[in-house]
This record gives sequence, structure tokens and C-alpha cells, in this order.
Amino acid sequence: MPITRRAALAAGLAVPFIGHARAAAEPVRIGALCPLTGAGGQYGPSMVKVIQAVADQVNMAGGIGGRMFALTVADTQTNPDATVAGGHKLIDVDRVAAVVGTWASADTTAVAPLCWEAKVMLFTVSGADSITKLPHHGYIIRTQPNTVLQMARVSQFLLENKAKSVFALSSQTPFAVDAYSRMAEALKQGGAQAIGQIVYDPHQTSFRSEIDRALAAKPDVLFLGSYAPDLAVLLRELYQAGYDGHRLTYGYAATPKALASLPPAVTTGLWSFDPSPDLGSPAYAAVRKILGADDPDPYSCQVYDHMNLIALSVAKAGQASGVAIHDTIRAISQGDGQPVYDAVEGMRLLASGKAVNYSGASGPCDFTPDGDIESCKFRFDVVEGGHKKLLSLS
Amino acid sequence: MEGAVLAVPAIGFNAVYAVLRFANFAVASFATIGAFAGWAANTALGWPVAPSLLAAFVVAGIVGVVTDEVALRPLRPSGALTTAIASVALAIILENVVRFFFGNDPRGFNLAVYRDWRGFGLHVGPQQARDAGAALVAMAALFGFLAFTRAGKTMRAVADNPTLASLKGIDAPRVARIASFVGLGLSGFGGMLIALDTQVDPLTGFRVLLPIFAAAVVGGLGSIPGAVAGAFLIGIGQEMSLLVLPATYRGAVGFLAILLVLSFRPAGLFGQAAS
Repeated sequence: MPITRRAALAAGLAVPFIGHARAAAEPVRIGALCPLTGAGGQYGPSMVKVIQAVADQVNMAGGIGGRMFALTVADTQTNPDATVAGGHKLIDVDRVAAVVGTWASADTTAVAPLCWEAKVMLFTVSGADSITKLPHHGYIIRTQPNTVLQMARVSQFLLENKAKSVFALSSQTPFAVDAYSRMAEALKQGGAQAIGQIVYDPHQTSFRSEIDRALAAKPDVLFLGSYAPDLAVLLRELYQAGYDGHRLTYGYAATPKALASLPPAVTTGLWSFDPSPDLGSPAYAAVRKILGADDPDPYSCQVYDHMNLIALSVAKAGQASGVAIHDTIRAISQGDGQPVYDAVEGMRLLASGKAVNYSGASGPCDFTPDGDIESCKFRFDVVEGGHKKLLSLS
Repeated sequence: MEGAVLAVPAIGFNAVYAVLRFANFAVASFATIGAFAGWAANTALGWPVAPSLLAAFVVAGIVGVVTDEVALRPLRPSGALTTAIASVALAIILENVVRFFFGNDPRGFNLAVYRDWRGFGLHVGPQQARDAGAALVAMAALFGFLAFTRAGKTMRAVADNPTLASLKGIDAPRVARIASFVGLGLSGFGGMLIALDTQVDPLTGFRVLLPIFAAAVVGGLGSIPGAVAGAFLIGIGQEMSLLVLPATYRGAVGFLAILLVLSFRPAGLFGQAAS
């Protein structure tokens, strides 16, 4: 068929629209950078399962204005080097708009500069204060309460339980010293005392010398700022050393599997605390259904929220870039909009011109200008017979 | 006591080095395999500690021989560095095979935990004493094997002078298999000892790779008495360092020991000078 001047003109005019049509079909590329192995390996697989499930739900509902979620998974190995390697791959090769699910604070701290330099949003479940103090220009959103929020609540719990002197044995993490300082300040205001801290190298087979020094200070509560592998050693050696005082630790260290690996005599009476998911939320019920678990872990709940927040931000902005998510996330997570608990319902409301306010499985998901959550609930448990029993939730 | 427990896999590392002349970094994974084998024997079969340790030794030894034959032996003509790098890859593969079958969850032995013995201002853990005793028995058995058995003597002959040993008609591949079985079996034995005090998970061995390597280097690569001395030096040094250093830097003691010892004795405490 001969090419006429009229056909050539029509083809020329159509060229910009071909590009536009292709852009409209571009997927929303997301990188799940989770701890599939290493100290956080107990959480990563369920986090990825939840992330994938939300992506599937959104895609099955027609995507975000026709754009489908395209998910790439990388393993942090709970190791900053591997996290940075995974981050480079997700950002430079897969061209993701957002990275979701970094767990250990050291890993998040390591990968964060790559994200903000590339204008990629980073959604994290790490708790160290220092993370949101980085010069991230708004490219970090954190659903885990920072140490200020955590230690205020922990100190309140300790004071309610008549603690007078607290000694901290803390694994070497970016938040170990900050957490102790916050706890010391809050205890002092309540008339109690933080009497010392040892920050230890967690890759040891024994902590007997550290324990001897801590017990020499005669604390009535030991705060164990541990991860699961070192907590197991500490609990066993504290029992062997004859310590019968109170012990308090992070819930992510006192996992059901970690407790089951120790004799009940060693774990009985251990207090643990967790930022609690919003147990009454429909979003929490959705996570329970995805994982088929009665009591899903807080990190799986948080990544559920990350994915829903991303979907709603992209729907609101009409673009699938890190910049678009950065600019619109607070417009869908807080304010006077209609409360919504999942992205599919929220996108329907947005399409009809209504404002939305997402509340998730982990809590209200309202963020400060630094990217921290403004509030959340905490649960305190006590271990009896090798199992956790709820003490308080508020 | 930590030194005694570390000494066992360090001896395994040096036994392999002495005969096969390469640093087998997969000892960490064989320690993990031994820990899982001992755990399975204890919890699934109800075996007490001593036979479970034997199971850890045998399973790690067998897996060690098979993987050496399949993955590392074909690479040995390419040089010690190539084989050592391949052993790092092998370690990662084995760790993930364990993870594939058992997952990441921590596991514990079906054993009671006892309070420390106390007296004269000191306290000693019964379990730590038992583990140190088991380590000493393993070391004594190894020394007996090397000194009094024909297989042990051929291992020493190859370690001392491979060329002369081959002229004497010693079957080098057979000795290599014996060295792999004994060395990597001891890594498994040590891995279970470590797991008794910590926990069983896919990283049980990896967590102690650096102290094991430090003990082997400080004692002298290839020297079995050196591995024992190096492990005790590292173990005692790490504990004593707490008197002058914050606990955070305890892990650095091993590297400080390497630096100091190699500055004055490049072959390590008991190592032979490089020819």
C-alpha cells in the first residue's frame, strides 16, 4: 500500500499518544527487600507472602488505574552488605518506585541513601531513631514505632511493675544506646533508675562474663535488647547463673519458635513487648486470612499497610514514580477523608472524587513530617509454660 | 571453656589444611550440619548427648567426604586459592540446603538446664564443664588416632611431606578422604557442642567461623596442637579483654591476636615456617 502524505501526517500526530498509551500500561514496580535469611529470617517469608497477596488483590481488581503491581523480591540476609546489593539491583536494574519491608535497623540505614538519591520511596519496619533523622527528604516512611515511643511505653510498664533499678544487656544495634538513654530518662522521671548498660557483640557462643558484670550491679529488672539467637543464649545462661529477677525483652526476639527451643524453666516469667497491630481492624483480619494465622506478626501487618499505602498514593497521583508516592502519601493516609482499610475500596472512592484516610493492620498510619508514625498500640506478654500470655494491651 | 569448644572445629579446619593444603571455609556449614544431626538424634531418636555427638561427627564426616569428592577435589589442581574460594561457595550452598529442609526456626535439644556449681567465689556451669570434657575427649581421640593407627600415621606422613609420602606408595586420594572425614566430622562434633550452649539454626556454624579461623591461624595453619593452643588463646583473650575493653569489641580480640602473633611468628604459634 503506498504511503500517502495524509497517512504520514496522521502517523506523525499519533506518535506522542503511542508513548502515552504505553506509559498508562507501565506497571507499578515494587521491590520487596525482606529478611528471608539471617536473624530476621523468621519474619521475611511471611512478609513477602503478604506483600505478594496485596499485589495480587489489587491486580485482580484491575490494577491501579490500569497499572498492575510488578513485584521483585530480594533477600536482605539481615545483613547490611547484602541489603545494599539487593537495593542496588532493585533500584538500578528493576527500576522500582518503592522498596518495602527492610527489617533490621542496620540494613535500613545502609540502603536508605540509595533510595533517597534515586527518589525511590523506602517503607520500613525498623525501629532505630536515627533512621528518620537521616537527610532522606521525605523518602522514608516507617510504620514501626521509634525508640522514643517504644521506650516511653516500656518505662511506663516497668514503673507500673514497681521496678527500681534496671540494667540493660543490649545487642550491638544502631538503636541500642538511644533506647537505653530514652529508658533512663523516663525511669528517672518516675523515680526509678537505669543503673548500667553493656552493649555486646551478638555473634558469641557465651555471654557469661557480661552476665556476671550485669548481676554484680544487683538490678531488679534486666532489659535484654536482643535478637532471637542471642536471647536464647542469654536466657539459658541467666538461669544457670541463678538469676531469678525480672527480664524484659523485645517481642521480635521472644518468638514462639525461639521460646519453644528452650526448656520452660528458662523462659517462665519473661516479659516481652511488641508494638501491637490494631486487632479490631478489618485490615488486621485481612492479614490473618492471608497468612492463615490467628496471631500474625507485626511486621507482616506493617508490610500489608505499606502496599496499600503505595496503591492509594499511585491512584491519587495518577503516576507510578517514587516522587508521586512521596508527594501524595499523606493525602491518603491522614486527614478528613473517608476511613478505608484496603486499597481496592480506597481506589474506588478516589475514582469517585472522594478523599480517603487509610487505617491499616498496624494502626492508624498517620505520619509525622519525618516519616514516623504518630501513635500505635503496644502489647505486653509474660511467658508461662513456654508460651506467651497477654498481660496488657493499650 | 569456650576455647575448648572452639578448639574442636579449629582442629578439623587444620586437619584438612594439613593434608589437602587449602583452607576449607565450609567448616562452618559442617558445624551446622553436625548440630542438626545431633539435634535430630537427640530429639527424634531420644539419644543422650554422647551418642548424639557421635552422630554429629559421622553425618558431618560423610557429607564432608561426599561434597569434597564432588565439588572440591576436581578443583584442587587449579590451586589452593581456587579451592578455598570454592569452599566458600560450598558453605553457602550447604547452609541453604539445610535451610530448605529445616527452615530458619531455632531449635533446642531435649535436655534439662542446670544451675551453676558455686563455691569459693566462683561458679562453673555443669553443661559448660560437660561440653569442655567432650571437647577434650574428642581431642584425645584424635591424637590417639594420629599416633597409634595406620590411617592416622599415613595422614601425618602426607601432612609432613606429600612428595615423600607418595614415593612411599601412600594412596593420596584415600588419605584425602580420611582427612576430610575426620576433619569435617570434628567440625560437626564441635558444631553440636556450640549448639548445646546456643541453639540449632542454619547459621549455628557461620556465627563462629571467624573465631575458628582466627584460632587456626594463630595456632599455625595445618598444626593440630596449634589449633588447640589458638582456640584457648582466643577464648581466654576474649574473656580477659572485658577487663579493659567494652564488650562490643570482644569479637575484635581474635583479629588482634592474629595481628600480634603473625607479626612475630608469621607461621603461627605451632606452624612450620614456609619453605
